[in-house]
Amino acid sequence: MAFDLNTLDAHFTALAGFDWGADADFFKSIDAAVVAAHGDTSLRADLEKRFGALLGGSTSRATKEYVCRKLAMIGTAVSVPALAALLTDADNSHMARFALERIDAPEAAAALRKALGMVEGSLKIGMISSLASRGDLQSVAAIGGLLGGDATIAAAAAAALGTLATPEAAAALAGAKPGGDMAAAVVDARLACAEAFLAKGDRKAAKAIYSSISASIGEAPKTHRERAVRVAAKRGLLAAAE
Amino acid sequence: MAAPYVITSKALGNATTPPASDRIVIGGIGIGNMGSGDQGAFLGRSDVQYVAVCDVRRTWRDDGKGRVDGKYGNKDCAAYVDFRELLARDDIDAVHIATPDHWHAIMTIAACRAGKDVYLQKPETLTLREGPLMIAAARRYGRVVSGGSQRVLEDYRDIVNPCWSGEVGTLKAVDISVGGPSMPCYLPAVATPPDIDWDLWLGPAPWEPYNPGRCDGNFGTGGGSWRSYVDYSGGSLTDWGAHHFGGAIFAADLRELQPASVAFHPASGGAGPYVSLTYPNGVAVHHNRPQPLRPEMPSVAHGGDIQVHADGTPREGKVVPTYKGEGGIYGDFIDSVKTRAKPFRDIELAVNTMTGPHMIAIAYRLERSLTWDRSAQRFTGDDEANRLLDRARREPWIL
Repeated sequence: MAFDLNTLDAHFTALAGFDWGADADFFKSIDAAVVAAHGDTSLRADLEKRFGALLGGSTSRATKEYVCRKLAMIGTAVSVPALAALLTDADNSHMARFALERIDAPEAAAALRKALGMVEGSLKIGMISSLASRGDLQSVAAIGGLLGGDATIAAAAAAALGTLATPEAAAALAGAKPGGDMAAAVVDARLACAEAFLAKGDRKAAKAIYSSISASIGEAPKTHRERAVRVAAKRGLLAAAE
Repeated sequence: MAAPYVITSKALGNATTPPASDRIVIGGIGIGNMGSGDQGAFLGRSDVQYVAVCDVRRTWRDDGKGRVDGKYGNKDCAAYVDFRELLARDDIDAVHIATPDHWHAIMTIAACRAGKDVYLQKPETLTLREGPLMIAAARRYGRVVSGGSQRVLEDYRDIVNPCWSGEVGTLKAVDISVGGPSMPCYLPAVATPPDIDWDLWLGPAPWEPYNPGRCDGNFGTGGGSWRSYVDYSGGSLTDWGAHHFGGAIFAADLRELQPASVAFHPASGGAGPYVSLTYPNGVAVHHNRPQPLRPEMPSVAHGGDIQVHADGTPREGKVVPTYKGEGGIYGDFIDSVKTRAKPFRDIELAVNTMTGPHMIAIAYRLERSLTWDRSAQRFTGDDEANRLLDRARREPWIL
């Protein structure tokens, strides 16, 4: 769809006053401009500046949400400060991550890491999730430090470490003392680490994990989950031995 | 004095019903339109014991429990709002999942971790990143995970059989006519009824206000249903498209492959736009290619929806893969649970199939052509396209 540069001012004014249920037809023009910004650094910078200006203060949650969706597509380091300011806001934290998770700039990862230390509860899980999704290896130590705390956050931290799957992540998981629901998350993450090590040809590291899990489960697993973990560990041991 | 323990005839089984120890114990998650159909198929089987339903809507939950209790003549079916409670039950062997698409990956992976086998409604994935993670979970724990398009094998015999028999020759191209991608949802806020746990319905999707049109389970994709909207569905392209692409890709024997590239063709002469996938073996799969651009006569066709173009030189045929067990795709799943064989629509084949429609949606959105690196699961040299491989999940949900 083509867009008209001359109408952008009016459409961004409409966006500034938007809320759910209002006429949203003007979005089509902004959407088209975002697509047209591919390879057009001037237009992209112009749009990013316009979007960033709508992230603060009085704009509605619906407006901020739309803006974050667009910045997920075209945002750069320029947008990071405005997005980072929303990370600690319960209403807008997710959509700020929606953009920051997809912006391939080190500043975006740094903002998520900083926020990880500033928020609690579900918002902290959000930061963990986005850092893992980005494959942010610099966050391994901070996320590993969360394995000993709140069980829900610890389970998320374990899952993230399984995604990041570095030797440091595996070591943190091996040292965890999980209980309850967290136990399944830690085992799953350790298995993910072992698979990653196998894929990289490090059979020794993989075998160590599989052996440890196999020993912890024993030869007479009682539950579906334990039987499935035993299958995973035994298969892993065979793969590591090949 | 303790009452004597009575072993019922139902538990022991009879000529048509296996003993309880041989039945697959099943629970259902998402028990609305498609879920109720899946439930009915499993509930009708003598080798299944259906024990639990889960839905964030009270009405559907109650209806689902009522159907089970009515079947068994008791009140034993458990009803859950939160799927994690159902998955925590160790007596359940397998689950069927028929929630909106934005829940599929999280629930399937959680079920695999819990040691359950999974029958998952199509489309199995909402984003390209989800597929490999679902496959990894299934393989890690040795789970049977079947995709849920019952039509792929059953509805497209008119193209599948001549393609697999070799009578039409070597396939060159397939044309598929089906609706496009999903759209954003800007519906107004409406008071949330007590019937639904709205936060759990949204789950990993962005928070947006309740509106019945946002979450309605009807099969439309033009608005007023979750199938219409980008946060919960890929729209007609992946919803009905899961059937059409599934049938066409099965007919063309492309299920083991993923597309190598996707080409965007701008609108021209009052027609289009349209998009074309090219598979590594050279077969092209076109989505909504205008009729004048197609070869004059298809070799075989499924109505006006799928046209297969082949070279017409007969080649050696192949045996068409089919279901195991009895009872269509549901019987195939149950048989696979018993034998640990891969089901007809094994999750890896389903993910491969759905990779095409997801790539098409991204090409439409960006209005440009893209190259896909299967081993890296990324587009080559296009940062913006790679940003669309996945989306951040709302806390506390993590993939």
